[in-house]
Amino acid sequence: MAVSGSVASTGAGPRTRAPVPDPHLDLERYEADADLMTLSLGPQHPSTHGVFRVVLYLDGETIVKAVPHAGYLHRGVEKLCEKLSYSNVVPILDKNDYVAPMLNEQAACMAFERLMGVEVPIRARWLRTLLAELQRIASHLLALGTFAIDLGGALGGGTSVFMYCFRERELILDLFEELTGCRFHYNTHCIGGNRHDVPPGWPELVRAALATIEARFDAYLAMLEHPIFADRTRGVGTIDAGLALELGLSGPNLRASGVDHDLRRDAPYHVYDLLEVRVATDSGGDCWSRYKVRVDEIRESLRLVRLLLDDLPAGPLSSTKPLGVVSQFKATTGQVYVGIESPRGELGTWVIADARKATSPYRMKLRPPSLHAVAAIPYVLPGHTLSDAIAILGSLDPIMGEVDR
Amino acid sequence: MGYVFATFQSLLATLRQGLATPSTVEYPKAKRPRAPRLRASFALTKDAQGDENCIGCKKCEKVCPSEVIAVVASKKPSPVTGKPRAYATDFTLNLQACIVCELCVQVCPTDAIVMVQEQEGPGFDRGDLVLTMEKLYRNGESKERLAWSSASVLGEHQKPAEAPAPAQRPAHAPVPVPAASAEPPGKEPAA
Amino acid sequence: MTNDPWLRALLEGAAVVTALMTAVAWITWLERKIAGRIQSRLGPTMVGPFGLLQPLADAVKSMQKESIVPRDADALLFWLAPPLTLALALGTAAVIPFSPGLLASDVDIGVLYALALSGLLSFPIWIAGWASNNKYSLLGGMRMVAQGISYEIPMVLSALVPVVLAGTLSMGGVVRHQAEHGWFVVSAPGVGFVAFLVFLLTALAEGNRIPFDIPEAESELVAGPTTEYTAIQWSLFAAAEYAHSLLASAIAATLFLGGWDGPVLPPAVWMVLKTGALFLLITWLRWSLLRLRSDQLMSLCWKLLVPLTLLLLLGAGTWVTLAT
Repeated sequence: MAVSGSVASTGAGPRTRAPVPDPHLDLERYEADADLMTLSLGPQHPSTHGVFRVVLYLDGETIVKAVPHAGYLHRGVEKLCEKLSYSNVVPILDKNDYVAPMLNEQAACMAFERLMGVEVPIRARWLRTLLAELQRIASHLLALGTFAIDLGGALGGGTSVFMYCFRERELILDLFEELTGCRFHYNTHCIGGNRHDVPPGWPELVRAALATIEARFDAYLAMLEHPIFADRTRGVGTIDAGLALELGLSGPNLRASGVDHDLRRDAPYHVYDLLEVRVATDSGGDCWSRYKVRVDEIRESLRLVRLLLDDLPAGPLSSTKPLGVVSQFKATTGQVYVGIESPRGELGTWVIADARKATSPYRMKLRPPSLHAVAAIPYVLPGHTLSDAIAILGSLDPIMGEVDR
Repeated sequence: MGYVFATFQSLLATLRQGLATPSTVEYPKAKRPRAPRLRASFALTKDAQGDENCIGCKKCEKVCPSEVIAVVASKKPSPVTGKPRAYATDFTLNLQACIVCELCVQVCPTDAIVMVQEQEGPGFDRGDLVLTMEKLYRNGESKERLAWSSASVLGEHQKPAEAPAPAQRPAHAPVPVPAASAEPPGKEPAA
Repeated sequence: MTNDPWLRALLEGAAVVTALMTAVAWITWLERKIAGRIQSRLGPTMVGPFGLLQPLADAVKSMQKESIVPRDADALLFWLAPPLTLALALGTAAVIPFSPGLLASDVDIGVLYALALSGLLSFPIWIAGWASNNKYSLLGGMRMVAQGISYEIPMVLSALVPVVLAGTLSMGGVVRHQAEHGWFVVSAPGVGFVAFLVFLLTALAEGNRIPFDIPEAESELVAGPTTEYTAIQWSLFAAAEYAHSLLASAIAATLFLGGWDGPVLPPAVWMVLKTGALFLLITWLRWSLLRLRSDQLMSLCWKLLVPLTLLLLLGAGTWVTLAT
């Protein structure tokens, strides 16, 4: 199993690691009577959060073994990046984590900037932080909504919560539309800064949207936190800190297991070093903790956006000339890894430059946090029922676009 | 009985949402306002004298990440001034693979290609989704449909600073690490 | 009209079924409208004024679609399950008293008959799950059987409380007793009210409604036993589900809320009002709650509801003894 060096190496002090259970052991016990039903959950299942397949070996309704099959959404993005010029890679990456495209652009831009030694003006960094936090709210709202649908069905209270979450997410997408002209393919970042400046009146729109979200948020959170929700999520899908670190989990999934690790605070980028990010953690490691951490992060992001809005500095938005030709950005040597805190965890970009083709990356490797979340499935699902499996999948919040790339 | 109390709470919450104004509209009858910057489709523009702005430099064709733009250029006398200059004799943009990244608009040296706020209507075969030169110029004729962005507007937004002040140095100092001494991923490169 | 009792029964049955199916069609509209408003949407608006003709459009659509039978399915059982489900759901209507005169058949064991029919209801759904030859359908069918065994006992026990209080198994008799001595939901102190709540809960479980729509569980089992069904067969299942919810509301209104009894308004109107109010409550609950897990429903039924209803039955007996 892939172990992320960065997650293990940062944070405070050494940690004791619990022995990781082998997900394949349990099946041997059952092979004697061979009375298992295999159930192919996906790739066209409504609750696999994308085109994803898990083969479940069921004893009754209890899962004995789970084998995830990713790759249905593989588009060869990393290979495509080697062909495109540096400036063209940025819009292509929007589709990776299709719930938080802003963060994909930022990760790539930051990697290229560091590779080429380009500095980013303070206004652009400020705006990037603002957009990242807004996108985090939108992404977590979608995660909450789909989690509710997983627990409440497409024809029930879960859908009501889902609709409320989407209504609020819509407000944020409207803000992005005002700023960039797009709701999804923003392409608002470029190497050296941002492409779209803040339109007049936009900060007021943001404030109004934040106030609406904050006012409505608690109302349906109370509705979601019904004892039935607690029954369905507490103690379900527990990942302890040792297993989480071993698997390279990051983001809310890691913090829910009690590991206090957040790149925004531990390895600050943009203007996070000027902000005091209160990192939300929970010790349970179960679905409830992952839900709780996401809710707390939405609240924290709402606070951060307000702070950032208050003093958006003046100045240039970009340190580079506007794009004129494809081959404007060049890097002949060096390699760089940049990890940023996307809503799902550490989104890493590793770029290697080579003089033989200076206008495009020689090799580009992405480290999607969702891939590691999906890797937890064979360890967590066994012992739970099919209903719990859906809840666990929903609480891990994997985005298949970035798992399969 | 926490369940009963919480159930009443849930019922109240949904009741309150149900009594509020719905947040959706009946789409064909009512339309939500479009953002002025909305990018939906493309147009080619003409200058004040009615001469085509496009000079057939093929910058947009080269920059397009999805390679959906095809330009054929040649030199011919201008129908307005009579002087010979470069023109695009054919210009097609295939919307089927377009990701609306705005890079073609950004690189245009003459503000010839711009974005349109209004989406293209549905088509009945794949050819309908290819914007031909006639369609692009027809889109450019109605000024109120034109979106906000053009190369010069976008360029204005990104005008770089004369000289960045040292205080504005980013916290993560940009360091191109040589391949031989590269650190493993995840470590902050030593500044 | 006619003196032939068989023809008369047939005509009456046809009238009841037609009225019910019409009601079922328009409560689907009602539910979609309520769900829409709860979810900050508009609900159906396009077909007819306020989307009122939407059920007709849906019916026409589902009838002109192709009915697909999976190649490996058990074709006979696969065809049999939907009409059987609807028939069992509608059969309950025979004993529901809409007014003192409007009652298809006031059999002496009306309550028993209604409970027996709804007890049978899990079988056609299980048949559908088995015949589809689909693992999701099979799991859904199995869940239906497991759930059926669990909710059936507290349901019967809670329905026995008004029977004990009224001293009769006839639906009409229960209503007449309530008209004289007050509705059971308030008259017997506490016992009637708690029994009413338990009956409503188990009726939710029986109608596969949130929070107990465990056999269907769209997010887990795609559509449960009805996964492989298309076109009019699927519509029959949907109609059965709504008919069942409606009739369960009617039974609850009859047993606990005094049926047709009420001041000023004519009896049939009171019955429709009470049934409608209960159905609205069920719908409202559906769009406000999440789903329980299978084993949680079973532990709720066996560990809480069964002892509780037994106690209620004891309380009802004590009350009757003390009152006489």
